[in-house]
Amino acid sequence: MNKRKTTLIFTLILATVLLTSCSAGLSGSSWPGISTNGDTFYVANLAHVYAIRATDGSMIWRYPEKASRTMYFAAPVLVENQLIAGDYQKILHSLNPTTGAENWSFQANGPWIASPLVANDTIFAPNGDGSLYALDLNGNLKWKFAATRALWSQPVGNGDTVYQASMDKTIYAVDMATGELKWSKDLGGAVIYSPTLSTDGTLYVATLARELIAVNTADGEILWRRKFTESLWSQPAIHEDTLFFGDLSGKAYGVSRTDGADIWTQSLTEPVTGRPTVTEESVVFATENGNLVALSFTGERLWSKTIEGKLYNGPVQFDDKLLIGIALGDSPLKLVTTAGQDVWTFIPPK
Amino acid sequence: MNIWDSLIITPFINTLLFIYNLIGQNFGVAIILFTLLIRLITHPLMVKQIKGAQAMQDLQKNEKWLKVQEKYKGDKEKLAQEQMALYKELGINPFSSCLPTLIQLPIIFGLYQAVIYAMATTPIDLLNLIRHIYPALLKVETLIPLNNRFLWMDLSQPERLNIPGLEFGIPVMVIIVVLTTYIQGKLTQPANPNPKDQTAAMGSMMNLYMPLFMGYLAYTLASGLALYFVASNLVGIAQYAMLGKVNWANVFPFLKKKDVKAGKGKK
Repeated sequence: MNKRKTTLIFTLILATVLLTSCSAGLSGSSWPGISTNGDTFYVANLAHVYAIRATDGSMIWRYPEKASRTMYFAAPVLVENQLIAGDYQKILHSLNPTTGAENWSFQANGPWIASPLVANDTIFAPNGDGSLYALDLNGNLKWKFAATRALWSQPVGNGDTVYQASMDKTIYAVDMATGELKWSKDLGGAVIYSPTLSTDGTLYVATLARELIAVNTADGEILWRRKFTESLWSQPAIHEDTLFFGDLSGKAYGVSRTDGADIWTQSLTEPVTGRPTVTEESVVFATENGNLVALSFTGERLWSKTIEGKLYNGPVQFDDKLLIGIALGDSPLKLVTTAGQDVWTFIPPK
Repeated sequence: MNIWDSLIITPFINTLLFIYNLIGQNFGVAIILFTLLIRLITHPLMVKQIKGAQAMQDLQKNEKWLKVQEKYKGDKEKLAQEQMALYKELGINPFSSCLPTLIQLPIIFGLYQAVIYAMATTPIDLLNLIRHIYPALLKVETLIPLNNRFLWMDLSQPERLNIPGLEFGIPVMVIIVVLTTYIQGKLTQPANPNPKDQTAAMGSMMNLYMPLFMGYLAYTLASGLALYFVASNLVGIAQYAMLGKVNWANVFPFLKKKDVKAGKGKK
């Protein structure tokens, strides 16, 4: 091969690498999704699902063992003797939680961005193709419900109904047994994060139209809606009669569940994303710039901690500790006490 | 937001999404019109580039040029001096073909990145996209979710056409990208390149490898980008055709034969 040909091929390969790295963009565009059974943390992050010992943060197994083009966006969900994790390549995997071996898989037509809900021995799995799939615990399709756009948020359920918010600006109430639509409501804005379901049967949901909306689960009636000046990239958390959430301007809110009126606000100065975590004595907010800020239930600042990387969701509480999923940091996972002190950091083995 | 984002990416994203909104939220048509718009804006640069390249090509046949090459082939410094003098004498700017290309490059990269940004396929991608939108121009609540469907494609995913009975999908857009890239390369090649001309030899090799390279990108990346490649190729062919720089005989050899026969007849 002559020198000119070699130069040309080298240039094209270089251009391929540059262009594909520009566009693939998936490597850093997610945050770790976490679930736990008390002894083990299950974390979906980038190319793997990890099982990690809660005591010391050491890895038990990872799936798949060798990284491929597959990416995991949705937090895995633990049910009985299986771990359900959907990937970006359209496949929903059932893994053995002890060994990481695959039990079964189910293919949809779009990427799995949101976690499934498991209830009544059924897996309710929302997909990027706009369908909510109901599978039995062996991965067999029971029914599917089609929304008109992608489903990026985890559904919630109570007894016999599953509530699915969609990018098509609608929330759907679907019969868990049959997949039939009970009611639907136009929310006026796409929904990214899941709605929050209260024990009294009210759904609280933030939309891209900068609104926080309370919906009656019985009939889909909107109980109240409140417009905000800044974008809400958040899922409200509930503590007694207060809803906690943040906005992209950096404001944290405590609002009344009855009518959405402010109880208190607190400036965190950085974009607040995801769902805050309610602990025994505080509510912990995650900011995009990597700060974890604990406020009292009345909005006073208790402590804060800076993490290297970006935070797109509140931590997961485990006993008296908080597990933080970190995007674009040195480590994807860190365990801290509810007072903000480090316990361990997980570094994935190469 | 950095300078690249502020000056190139953000205005491009807003233009693309403005077009998308204007035509009734069809992302495929928006990509095609956006590509056309950018190519029209950069058309004067392209004209300059083509004229500059033509002047350099003509220079290769100039007697004075050939004499200088022969006379000073052992003295690079002197050769460069004489070449510069000749450029001055003939009123040729040796950078007139590559300078417009260099100016176009960031625009092409910006267009490419704007298409990627706009096809946000994950929550964080969407968050980044929303941050690039001018609120005075576009309303997020009416814009999102973007309608990524175009013909049989989901523009945010690599394209495969599934035909009943076939277990695999056919990458139709890949085939179209490869064909249009090849045809564009052939059409814009000189009709009878000098076999000793290194630039022409390089061009021939590019015509062979470039379609494969573009085909690989179209196979692995979102089909919205494949659509952009096709639109860009077709607009490029049209631009060259309007300037009379398309050599149809390179693709349709029967046209070449006719030319030869016509030439013989004249003699």
